[in-house]
Amino acid sequence: MATATASGLAVLAPRPLLPAPGRRRQAPALGCGPSRPRGLYSAPRGRVLCLAAPAPAAPSTTDAGQDRLQKVPISNIRNFCIIAHIDHGKSTLADKLLELTGTVQKREMKEQFLDNMDLERERGITIKLQAARMRYVMNNEPYCLNLIDTPGHVDFSYEVSRSLAACEGALLVVDASQGVEAQTLANVYLALENNLEIIPVLNKIDLPGAEPDRVAQEIEEIIGLDCRDAVRCSAKEGIGITEILDALVTKIPPPKDTAKDPLRALIFDSYYDPYRGVIVYFRVIDGSIKKGDKICFMANGKEYVADEIGVLSPNQMQVDELYAGEVGYLSASIRSVADARVGDTITHYSKKADHALPGYSQATPMVFCGLFPIDADQFEELREALEKLQLNDAALKFEPESSSAMGFGFRCGFLGLLHMEIVQERLEREYNLNLIITAPSVVYRVNCADGETVECSNPSLLPEPGKRRSIEEPYVKIEMLTPKDYIGSIMELAQDRRGEFKEMNFITESRAKLIYELPLAEMVGDFFDQLKSRSKGYASMEYSLIGYRESQLVKLDIQINGDPVEALSTIVHRDKAYAVGRALTHKLKELIPRQMFRVPIQACIGTKVIASEALSAIRKDVLSKCYGGDITRKKKLLKKQAEGKKRMKAIGRVDVPQEAFMAVLKLEKEVL
Amino acid sequence: MLRLAFPLVSHLPRRKPASVRPRPPPARRYASSSSATTASFSPPPSPLLPPLPPASAYVHLPFCRKRCHYCDFPIVALGSSSASSHGGGEAAEDPRIVDYVRLLLREVSATRPVSDDGVPLETVFFGGGTPSLVPPRLVATVLDALRDRFGLSACPEVSIEMDPGTFDAARLRELVGVGVNRVSLGVQAFQEDLLRACGRAHGLKEVYEAVGIVTACEGLQNWSMDLISSLPNQTEEMWEESLRCTVDARPTHVSVYDLQIEQGTKFGQMYAPGVFPLPSDIESANFYKIASKRLSEAGYNHYEISSYCKPGYECKHNLTYWQNRPFYAFGLGSASYINGVRYSRPRRTKEYAEWVQKLEDGTWSHESRSSDMKDMALDVVMLSLRTAWGLDLQSFSKSFGKSLTLSLCNTFKPFVESGLVIAMDMDRRALPHVDFELDLQNEDDFGRRVAFIRLSDPDGFLLSNELISLAFGIISP
Repeated sequence: MATATASGLAVLAPRPLLPAPGRRRQAPALGCGPSRPRGLYSAPRGRVLCLAAPAPAAPSTTDAGQDRLQKVPISNIRNFCIIAHIDHGKSTLADKLLELTGTVQKREMKEQFLDNMDLERERGITIKLQAARMRYVMNNEPYCLNLIDTPGHVDFSYEVSRSLAACEGALLVVDASQGVEAQTLANVYLALENNLEIIPVLNKIDLPGAEPDRVAQEIEEIIGLDCRDAVRCSAKEGIGITEILDALVTKIPPPKDTAKDPLRALIFDSYYDPYRGVIVYFRVIDGSIKKGDKICFMANGKEYVADEIGVLSPNQMQVDELYAGEVGYLSASIRSVADARVGDTITHYSKKADHALPGYSQATPMVFCGLFPIDADQFEELREALEKLQLNDAALKFEPESSSAMGFGFRCGFLGLLHMEIVQERLEREYNLNLIITAPSVVYRVNCADGETVECSNPSLLPEPGKRRSIEEPYVKIEMLTPKDYIGSIMELAQDRRGEFKEMNFITESRAKLIYELPLAEMVGDFFDQLKSRSKGYASMEYSLIGYRESQLVKLDIQINGDPVEALSTIVHRDKAYAVGRALTHKLKELIPRQMFRVPIQACIGTKVIASEALSAIRKDVLSKCYGGDITRKKKLLKKQAEGKKRMKAIGRVDVPQEAFMAVLKLEKEVL
Repeated sequence: MLRLAFPLVSHLPRRKPASVRPRPPPARRYASSSSATTASFSPPPSPLLPPLPPASAYVHLPFCRKRCHYCDFPIVALGSSSASSHGGGEAAEDPRIVDYVRLLLREVSATRPVSDDGVPLETVFFGGGTPSLVPPRLVATVLDALRDRFGLSACPEVSIEMDPGTFDAARLRELVGVGVNRVSLGVQAFQEDLLRACGRAHGLKEVYEAVGIVTACEGLQNWSMDLISSLPNQTEEMWEESLRCTVDARPTHVSVYDLQIEQGTKFGQMYAPGVFPLPSDIESANFYKIASKRLSEAGYNHYEISSYCKPGYECKHNLTYWQNRPFYAFGLGSASYINGVRYSRPRRTKEYAEWVQKLEDGTWSHESRSSDMKDMALDVVMLSLRTAWGLDLQSFSKSFGKSLTLSLCNTFKPFVESGLVIAMDMDRRALPHVDFELDLQNEDDFGRRVAFIRLSDPDGFLLSNELISLAFGIISP
């Protein structure tokens, strides 16, 4: 599997530390604690069905496998993806398609399938299949079906859109008992925008709770798709799979035959292989590409020689040439995925296309946080780990940051919350780093008095109050689907988070769609967790950025004994400043050990103190005991005490334990 | 004149340093033995000087009737049936004591004196346990052995810890007869209930009897009353009463120990520090302050965190510890400090006996761990800051370097300002904190005025662990 894009897969596909021969990819390393909600944080993706063997001698290269390499006329090529909400059965369906077409042997399939299930259970996520070329014979006519997988999370909506752009059709898989979810909707709309032929599939019809008629109606009502021909299947039981394959052939149009045109291939994914450099996944839109061709990436202008090209089936299998309509991979000694950005167009160096394919965009981090090693000695390790991750994740941005409270670390930018969590998780799990993670923040736009506009994601770098005229913050439009019982409490949540109600409509009798516009900053905390807990897990959501708006924002500073603690500064809405200030000072009072003097703990806006607590002084810490000249024990105690102080960070004269920062940062996530 | 020495540094009005100029310069200083007419002691040795031979010996006599509820010392509980109390003759001697003293004597004779020049012992301290349970005859044999092995100076300080109810006038006379000249009387409290609650083997009646015997004993001028504060259910009134009774008994020395709840003791199982029935931190700090106030008013110098004395009556033996000077130690679990090495003997009788055997066989030797300068500096700081004398910056600087000394002073700067730490000049006059800061600013000139730093009494002493551990962080970062 490959990582896709900059971020999509890039982040999900861990770089194997010690890649075993024949295993290109390691199991996904992203883990989730039990508290991790599924849905927003779990990218619905296909599984790695085959851990790729070195091409071309893949173990599954049987006759059937060789068949898959045979060319078919372009009119017999079908490129499609699967759109589904997490848990609605996308992976299982993909497995079944591969199995039934003989792409993966049944025996092999089971093993892989089970392996991955275990992994999934352990780690709590699915990873991406990426792409698979299948051979399917219908009415004695061989067809080449290319399944292109898509990341399912909104953080990666750009990557999704590029994957969709590589297809002519999509299977919309909906759980016949659950119905349509918010994320599914978002991706269906993306697919419709890309003019894809959409085939509705009602999955899990074998389950007792399945209501395919109701769900079919729901799809018709919400999306406006004709569901009369919707395939009813159970991927798990193997029911309806042939019907799906037939529908793919009959309903999805073949690619346009533009093999004569100059080469234009759309990069829809890439990942970094430590031995071969970046592996680029692409769909040939126009023209053809041969092994050894000198190619050029149109967005960044870089040139390479395609050392190897091939198809994914799902192992990498080398071929000599790929034509318009086909899907494949190439390697060309590319050093970083940032040089093979998703959405870029591959063309021939000597015969360049006139225009690049539309839709390319740069990765723009939307959410930021500070990452600091708990042990200052790990700073270099953290830098190296981030650099390694960046090889495979063009969307990950970082720059060094230092804080009086937490020492040296990095300010990192992410596409969204899932992306942020994945990176944090990988740093901790794969690189054994213990990190302090500051509350996520967004990029504010500060309109300065001198007419200049400054972008700022770090509260401590916010221009002085006197120098700014106004602050703008990013807003998102958020769509939530919920059973009607939870409408009240979800509206309350959105209201609490400064949400502006836009509309509500009942998509069915029992389910409603709520639309709000709210500040991204209000969403980067625990919004999703709250949504899930208030709806007992039933509500789903989807958001998209809608631009910047001016807000009454203030910088809230924390002062301990009169000294400002930069690391704890936050930007909050004026109306929330008091509550946040009170919560933070209260928490700090609990966590900071008493000192030899009284310590005021204050939350301030500018010079105005808005919340205040005080830590009373220690009254007594003395060892006055007769101990007959035996000073060793006493010395040990004092050493331990000194040791304890060392683990603390000095804020002015006050020793603050690391845990206090962590707890407060956690609290900030909750109360902001 | 003499009495001024301590109040000068211990009763500083905190926020008005300018008014602190002492009128008459102190006649006798804690640094000097020259002008003292009564008992006095020498300044702390510079750690850079070649190690002095020890002039002090600690002797552990571990026997008790029973273990007190707070005690975690190496002791041997004899039980109440022991015949070894009041004036028991040789026939009544407990064989466990006799055997132990025999072992002790073997250790003494197997211990090689550090110096061949015959530096005699200036102090001997019989600690316990309850050394007063040991028949005077046996105490005498130990003293004789020490004299034989190391020599005793012309008028050594020989202290013994005694518990009420374990001796009578005759027995004390006997002890004084064999050379004991200082008694440390373990009274602990003047309330029947508190004594019982601590698991003491005596009651209030025995306390008064013991005080009577000690004060009436001819040839014994120097004695200490030992008290414990912060006992369970102790009230401020009770503590005031204990201090009043103490002052009335006119001891030359008072030790006030603050109850420490140790793991593995009965109190450790029963109580959590600061939680009722133990006094809260605030109450307990208050007890400490009251003691400091009442005893100072009664003319006692608060010369060390838990020690008070009438002028000239410091416990010379304990000063050995505070001044980081070497000392011998003998007996179960005791800790010696010889040639820069601290060694704690086994805490159990069997292991201790085996260890003595090895010592005799010559198969045991100190691990020749070269004394780490850092550790030395930690010791000096931790010990000297327990005393009213404080840390001699010049000598510290000579031994451990000027930059470390400056760092230390810089660390203490805010506490000099807040009054927890006091900076003093050569004449032990307190300096206003601005003078201290000025001195610090000019590194080349540092030490022109500031010569000592000490913890203030009672506030600095009360936070000594905090302050000393701060210094530890500087010395051993």
